[in-house]
Amino acid sequence: MPVAEGKSVQQTVEILTRKLELLGAEKQGTFCVDCETYHTAASTMGNQGQAGKLMYVMHNSEYPLSCFALFENGPCLIADANFDVLMVKLKGFFQNAKANKIESRGTRYQYCDFLVKVGTVTMGPSARGISVEVEYCPCVVANDCWNLLMEFMQSFMGNHTPGIPSMFSNKHDSIYSPGDTMAQYMELFNKIRKQQQVPVAGIR
Amino acid sequence: MEAPPVTMMPVTGGTINMMEYLLQGSVLDQSLESLLHRLRGLCDNMEPETFLDHEMVFLLKGQQASPFVLRARCSMDKTGTPWHLRYLGQPEMGDKNRHALVRNCVDIATSENLTDFLMEMGFRMDHEFVAKGHVFRKGIMKIVVYKIFRILVPGNTDSIEPLSLSYLVELSVVAPAGQDVVSDDMRNFAEQLKPLVHLEKIDPKRLM
Repeated sequence: MPVAEGKSVQQTVEILTRKLELLGAEKQGTFCVDCETYHTAASTMGNQGQAGKLMYVMHNSEYPLSCFALFENGPCLIADANFDVLMVKLKGFFQNAKANKIESRGTRYQYCDFLVKVGTVTMGPSARGISVEVEYCPCVVANDCWNLLMEFMQSFMGNHTPGIPSMFSNKHDSIYSPGDTMAQYMELFNKIRKQQQVPVAGIR
Repeated sequence: MEAPPVTMMPVTGGTINMMEYLLQGSVLDQSLESLLHRLRGLCDNMEPETFLDHEMVFLLKGQQASPFVLRARCSMDKTGTPWHLRYLGQPEMGDKNRHALVRNCVDIATSENLTDFLMEMGFRMDHEFVAKGHVFRKGIMKIVVYKIFRILVPGNTDSIEPLSLSYLVELSVVAPAGQDVVSDDMRNFAEQLKPLVHLEKIDPKRLM
């Protein structure tokens, strides 16, 4: 579950990773989550008069063969990597807002059953924030392990531990899926995009 | 729990364009068994594979004259398999001597909420049908013999009726662009199926 933090991006990332290493987490390579925005071209919306929709196409290095496509508050499609090729074919109908591409890159840590990924969120050349993703691997129902996750996060994030993500208020007991992770990243990226250039401490 | 082997982003640019090479023909119902018998002999040794698929064709209309077509297919008899989304481009008109119909194709496996997602993107279903038949393989060639069923009540795949008294036979290969030797191999294979079925290059535009 990603969380945004502020202050000097590089320093905060270092503080967090040092805390994690002190706890005993093992570094296990890098990760990357990226998000591209597509909007419906004016030509398709002509006769219908609806507002253009935004579609997000995301990739997560944890699932290297997949592509995730989502609409805000809408369905999330999990497809294989060829979906990107399809989006190229659809460029007459969906335009890629290249300036809006946002990604989070960083280190992946494993601590017992937890997977922690601390990444720097960048949009173009500038660093805009920090994402922290914490996954408790054995559990597939969010409600069952939320308290455990909170406790673990407090041990290295202190006051910045977030509250329960909004999407779980409706579906506490349903099985968690990678689509849920991507939806949370999308919300986080949208929040960061709306912030000023200088990141301010923002908690989800 | 190790990091997946690919920890850098997958390369999305520079993907190879895949083309579908296609030959089609048909057989009347009464000739089906002889055709299947010959195919079992000619094709790779494998368990006889039948399929029952539901295909929906979606259109996205824009200001361009021709709408964008996508085909969504799901298996009705095998649970748990992903849905198959397919884009087929216009047939390449180049070489009249080329033996097979060649068109760009993009195949994508997706999760089950594909139809909801396509509707959200603005696509609308144009038509749907059920396909029931057999599939064979010979190397990279795929041979499909199937019957198309019309769906009487939209969305209800239980009430279907056959569209015709014959089976459609398709010989296809999906390969990177520029491999014309593929169509020669296909033609040679098609020769072995004569006179049971005549597989030829059928230009969809000439039928409309």
